[in-house]
Amino acid sequence: MTVIGTVEKKGFGFGTWALVSENGTTYELKDPADELKQEGIKVEVKGKIRDDVMTMATIGKVLEVESYKLL
Amino acid sequence: MKKLVLLCLFVLGIGFSLFSFKGLAQQGEFDSIILDFREDVPIAKISEEIQGLSSKYNQRVDLNSVFSISDRIYIVRGDKKVLKELKRSDLKKDTEYIEANYLYYANAVPNDPQYNKQWNFRDINIEQAWDETRGAGATVAVIDTGVSKVPDLKSTKFVKGYDFVNNKDDASDDNGHGTHVAGTIAQSTNNGYGVAGIAYEASIMPLKVLSGSGGGTIADIAEAIKFAADNKADVINMSLGGGGASSMMEEAIKYAHNKGVVIIAAAGNEGSNSSSYPARYSEVISVSATNAAGDKAGYSNFGAGVDISAPGGEGMNESGSIWQNTINPDQSQAESVFAGFQGTSMAAPHVAGVAALVRSTGVDNPDEIRDILKQSSRKVDEDHLNHFGAGHLDANAAVQMALKGKITFNDFFRWLRKSGYLNLGFWIDGGAIALLPKLGMVIGSYLLAWLLRTYLPMTLALNTGLIFGSSGLFFLQGLYWFDLPQWPMRLFGSSLPELGNVVFGNSNLNPLFASALIPFLLTALLLNSSFKWFAIGSSIGVAACLGVSAFTDPGIWLLGSGAIARGYLIVNAALCLGLAYLASQKDAQRV
Repeated sequence: MTVIGTVEKKGFGFGTWALVSENGTTYELKDPADELKQEGIKVEVKGKIRDDVMTMATIGKVLEVESYKLL
Repeated sequence: MKKLVLLCLFVLGIGFSLFSFKGLAQQGEFDSIILDFREDVPIAKISEEIQGLSSKYNQRVDLNSVFSISDRIYIVRGDKKVLKELKRSDLKKDTEYIEANYLYYANAVPNDPQYNKQWNFRDINIEQAWDETRGAGATVAVIDTGVSKVPDLKSTKFVKGYDFVNNKDDASDDNGHGTHVAGTIAQSTNNGYGVAGIAYEASIMPLKVLSGSGGGTIADIAEAIKFAADNKADVINMSLGGGGASSMMEEAIKYAHNKGVVIIAAAGNEGSNSSSYPARYSEVISVSATNAAGDKAGYSNFGAGVDISAPGGEGMNESGSIWQNTINPDQSQAESVFAGFQGTSMAAPHVAGVAALVRSTGVDNPDEIRDILKQSSRKVDEDHLNHFGAGHLDANAAVQMALKGKITFNDFFRWLRKSGYLNLGFWIDGGAIALLPKLGMVIGSYLLAWLLRTYLPMTLALNTGLIFGSSGLFFLQGLYWFDLPQWPMRLFGSSLPELGNVVFGNSNLNPLFASALIPFLLTALLLNSSFKWFAIGSSIGVAACLGVSAFTDPGIWLLGSGAIARGYLIVNAALCLGLAYLASQKDAQRV
């Protein structure tokens, strides 16, 4: 799937990287690349939802990034 | 002669066991010893002895406080062994006493210096709960990013865990989340350092299923749940969630639940109106998060599946978050750090900690524990959207509910204090036994025996019967030996007529026992045996007892305490005397 949204650092644990889509859905980025770890950048991410993964942050569905484009 | 020896041995045996019974007086906790030097010993000698003591045990020996100078009270650190040695040493002759410096605990506000930051503990009323239990004996499995032994977990008990991510025994944390969660559950408390934890006498089982970046697979989590159940965990805390329904996870949860494990999970931080998995499973207690004002935290899930709410904090600053000791995953900084976290991840371990407290009071059924947690929670009015589940977690109410119906040692101790039995002066309760009438009965029985002396041999059997029939070992009735039940004292301290009422603590005589019936039965049974003099002595004794009672305290159950009762007692006394006379007559020629 493809998601266009803004990267945000959420305050859970020492910090969790999330992608908040244009329609307001929050996804948790699974092991994001360093380039994605920037607060406020707009990106287009292609990836898949990992239903077999659980996290400590539980902020939303876990999105495993396959490729991305900074907008 | 042989009988006398046996009797002496018996008395010695009872006396020995009573004196060596270790009541509460010797069970206190201590790590130092009091030495009270006598005032008539010269200071120079005391200094010398203290020097000697100090170098022998390599410990400082100090005055207890500035007020100890005149009374010469010195304190030295030591344990039971040291106390024993000191008591036996030469110091004995120069001291008034050498004793354990027992530790007393007030309604415990812990001495952890940053305890003031833990608004969340006041929110759940933990201090009163700590009066009853601190979680000893319970094991809580923390299924998370691992748990590292940071300084403020140094005194906390750990049991063997496992790292399912890297497949090794050492389940240390590389993220900081798991250690923080473990801190809420069992941070080392009253150690003069850092902060406090809820069930600080419980044991932690660290199970690492989440990686350094905070994610983990369902397979690892399910296996960790099984590991916890198989290794005797009492509570499982899962401050994690996401994914969807999973048969493997569901199976593991049912397995653990059947093995008696209470399972608790965070409701999730999506701010949506349903709980995430695994909290959503029916066997799992789902916890939503509240902030310092008692409102639902903005991020917290609510609605479907939420069972209870607990402090999760809001914001990352000290005054609104959950403050615990954890590791700093940033390698370039110090290893251990105090951090304020927020999340349903922080709320769940509050419930896990209280579940451990409830478990340690003896409730071991997980459904019962869940019911206690929910029923004892503080209900919130107007919670249409189910923000709070059954209500706000209340540790004290939960522990009190768990203890209801169970008499604990604390209750008994409080009763003892209030009833005055701990007052040394209460050891012999003179008021409970009317001394004069008792003496009258014993003397009266011997008088009667003297009247019949022609027919009576003064054997042990006769004497025993006389005492048993007239007054029993009546001084025992007023003895209260600490921590022992008192009814045996009443039993041995009773005369035959009193046996029908004294054991039960009634003061009126039982009409069957306060009559010639039992002496008659005894005589009939024993007349042709070597115990006949016991029976005869008992009859005389009972006669004396009933005779004196008729004048001093004629209260009989069903007969009142007026003329009828007196008449009854006098008639039976006469019958007993007659019985004794006739029975002793039988062998008159033998005397």
